[in-house]
Amino acid sequence: MSGVLTLGTLDPAFEAASRVAGEPVALDLRSVEFVEPAGICGLAALLEFLIPRSEEVSLALAGRDVPAYLERMNFFRLFGDRVRTNADVASLEERQRHNPGTLQELVKFQTEEEIPGVVRRISEILENQGYRLRERVAICSTLSEICANAAEHGASEDGFGAFATVQAYNHIVSGARRRGEEVLVAIADGGVGIRKTLSRNEKHAEHTTTDNDAIRHALKMGVSGSGELGRGGGLTLVAQISGRAGGSLSLRSGSGRVTAYHDRKNSRTVPDFPGTFVRVSLPRHLETAPQEKSSR
Amino acid sequence: MISLKTVRIGSVAETPEIFDVAGGDFGGKLMVTRRAGRAVREALAERLEALPKGGVLHVDTRGVELMDYSFADESLGVLVSRVAGGEYGERYLVLVEEDRDMLENVEASLRQRSLAMTRVDEVGGEPAIVGSIPDHLSDTLQAIMDAGSITNADLAKKLGLNHTACNNRATRLAKLGLIHRKVESASPGGRQYTYERIA
Repeated sequence: MSGVLTLGTLDPAFEAASRVAGEPVALDLRSVEFVEPAGICGLAALLEFLIPRSEEVSLALAGRDVPAYLERMNFFRLFGDRVRTNADVASLEERQRHNPGTLQELVKFQTEEEIPGVVRRISEILENQGYRLRERVAICSTLSEICANAAEHGASEDGFGAFATVQAYNHIVSGARRRGEEVLVAIADGGVGIRKTLSRNEKHAEHTTTDNDAIRHALKMGVSGSGELGRGGGLTLVAQISGRAGGSLSLRSGSGRVTAYHDRKNSRTVPDFPGTFVRVSLPRHLETAPQEKSSR
Repeated sequence: MISLKTVRIGSVAETPEIFDVAGGDFGGKLMVTRRAGRAVREALAERLEALPKGGVLHVDTRGVELMDYSFADESLGVLVSRVAGGEYGERYLVLVEEDRDMLENVEASLRQRSLAMTRVDEVGGEPAIVGSIPDHLSDTLQAIMDAGSITNADLAKKLGLNHTACNNRATRLAKLGLIHRKVESASPGGRQYTYERIA
C-alpha cells in the first residue's frame, strides 16, 4: 500500500478479497499517509464485501493523522463495531470536533429520497468555501446524478446500498505541478456493475464484451440499462462538467476502469470487484505552475 | 375577400397561469433526482389539465438554484413529450427562465428527446426556444413568433412555400406544442388556418 489511499491503491486488496472464504482478514494500511475520498469509499465497499465473508476483519493504521481523518469522516461510526483496529478510536471520538466546512462525511444511503439532503449539505460546504453559484451548480448536479445512479443500481439483493463522500481542498490533489483548488467527489455502490446493467438491454450487446467497453458505452449520451428515452444523460453531463473544469471523471466497475478527461479517455484493466466506483475531480482556479515553482 | 390578417391576439387566459417551481413544496431552490422531478411533473400536469383549451401554463424555474439532468428530464422532458404526444389536447407549456447554466440540463433532456419548448425570460417576454426542432421548421417557427398571429396564406407567402407545405410545417409545430393553430372558416366555403405564438 502506497502513501496515498486511493481507489487504485486498493486494487491488490480488491484482488485478494475475492479469495476470502471465512478466514480472518488483516488489512494493513500502515503506510497510508493521505486518504482521498475515493479511497474512503473504496475501503468502505471493500469492508462491506469482506465482513460477511470473514471471521474477523482487522484494520492496521499508523500515526495519528489518518485515524483522526477517518474518524472525522465518520468512518468508525459506520464500521467501528464491525472491524477490529489498532487505532485508539475512543480517544479520537472524545476530541472536540471542529467543523472545517470543507467535507461531507462518509454517508451511506439506499434510496433516492436521501440524496437531496446530501446534495444540500455539499452545496453549503461549497458556499462556505466561496464557490460561486455557477460552480456549485456544476458540482452538485454532478453529485446528485452519480448518487441517483448508485441508489438505483446499488440496491441489489446483497448490495449494501451506496457510500458517498466529498472533500474540498485548497490545493490540487489530482496530478502534479498545478496550482489551484479541487473538489473530489467519490461514490461507491454495491450493485451489479455497469456491464451487467447494460447487458439487460439487448441493444447494447456489442458494447458489453468487456467491462471497459461497457463503461465507455455508458458514458455516451442516452445510453442506459432501461433504454428509455431521456435516460442515460446524467453521466455524460458529469463527464462534460468535470472535463470543462480541467478535471476528470473516473469509473471503476467489474474489471474495468475508465477515466474521462475533456479530450480523451483512458482505460485499464483492474482486478474484478463487484459494484461501481465513481471519482470526480473538479478543480478551479487552475494554473499550470512553472517547473521551478512547483515545489512551493 | 376577407383578410384574416389580424393584430396580435393575446393568450386565451386573461391572467397568465404561472407555476412557481421553487415556491412549491418540492425542494425549494434545490431540484435534484427523478423522484423530485416526478412530483413536480404530476403537479404541473394537474394544472395543465385544469386549463381551458388553448391555455398556456408558464413554468417558472427562476427561483431554482440547482436542477440536475435527472430532475429536468423527469419533470420537463417527460411532460413536454406528453404535450407533444397530444395527451393534454391544445394546452401548452412555456418555460420562464433566464439564459443561464441551469438551462443546459433542460436543453440536454429535450434534445435527447428531439423536442423543444418555448422559453421566455419573464412572463410576456420575447420567446426563444430551448431544445431542438428540425432545421426546416426553425424559419417557420421564427416567422410565426415574429408575426404573433399569421394565416397560412400569409405565412406561405412570407416563406416562399406552397400552402400545403406551409400547413404541414405549422401543423408539426403545433403538435410539438410550440404554436397554437386555429381553424376558421373562410370564404368561399373553405377553411383558413391561423397560427399564433403561445408566448
